[in-house]
Amino acid sequence: MPATFIHRSILTVGFLSLFHAAYSAAQHRSYLRLNDLDFTHLPLDIFLQALVSLFIIMYGVLNITGDFKEIKAAAELDNKSWETFRNIPSFYIFNHRGGKSSPVLTKTSLEEIE
Amino acid sequence: MANKIKNEFVAYSEPAIRNNLSIVEYCRTSVAAVSGCTAGVLGLTGLYGALFFVIAVTSFWFMLIFKAGIDSWKKYFISRKSLLLNGIFGHFFTYILCWTFIYGMVHVY
Repeated sequence: MPATFIHRSILTVGFLSLFHAAYSAAQHRSYLRLNDLDFTHLPLDIFLQALVSLFIIMYGVLNITGDFKEIKAAAELDNKSWETFRNIPSFYIFNHRGGKSSPVLTKTSLEEIE
Repeated sequence: MANKIKNEFVAYSEPAIRNNLSIVEYCRTSVAAVSGCTAGVLGLTGLYGALFFVIAVTSFWFMLIFKAGIDSWKKYFISRKSLLLNGIFGHFFTYILCWTFIYGMVHVY
């Protein structure tokens, strides 16, 4: 399953959400500064948004990088037959006696094909 | 006896291993950077930040194994432990870089 549009949008949403959380946290800090309050902890919603967007980004990155390949050397050969390996295109011969000795292919029918 | 010896050796395909490990490396570097940013946003300091890194990396490790398949991860990786521990200090420095940078951006200035 290669990276699809959905995964790219999930990643984008995650980054935007993280940026929004960062902006909210900065605003919270400036609010505290203006009211001369001490920083103890972030509001719960910003905290949760940052955490959730971290996991969304993790999921997006994991899916956007592509699939794993099987590491067994024989894995790629499993669904190929011996005919595939015996097939050597350079040794194909088209001008052989089969055409002349065939009862179906006469000289005229060959000319018609050409 | 000959059959036994034959079963002990497994031929691995090097390009496939390298492909998988480069995917994992890419993901883990991004996760280190992004979790550093999150730690900075959350305003973690001191050991809480280190703890957050451990939690983030471990949960990403679980996601990675879940993606490879809980039963079938052996098809894609030789060792599960190396997925968690390979180059963890390098990632920790990436994490600290992003952590301090975003902490400064959000909480100090």
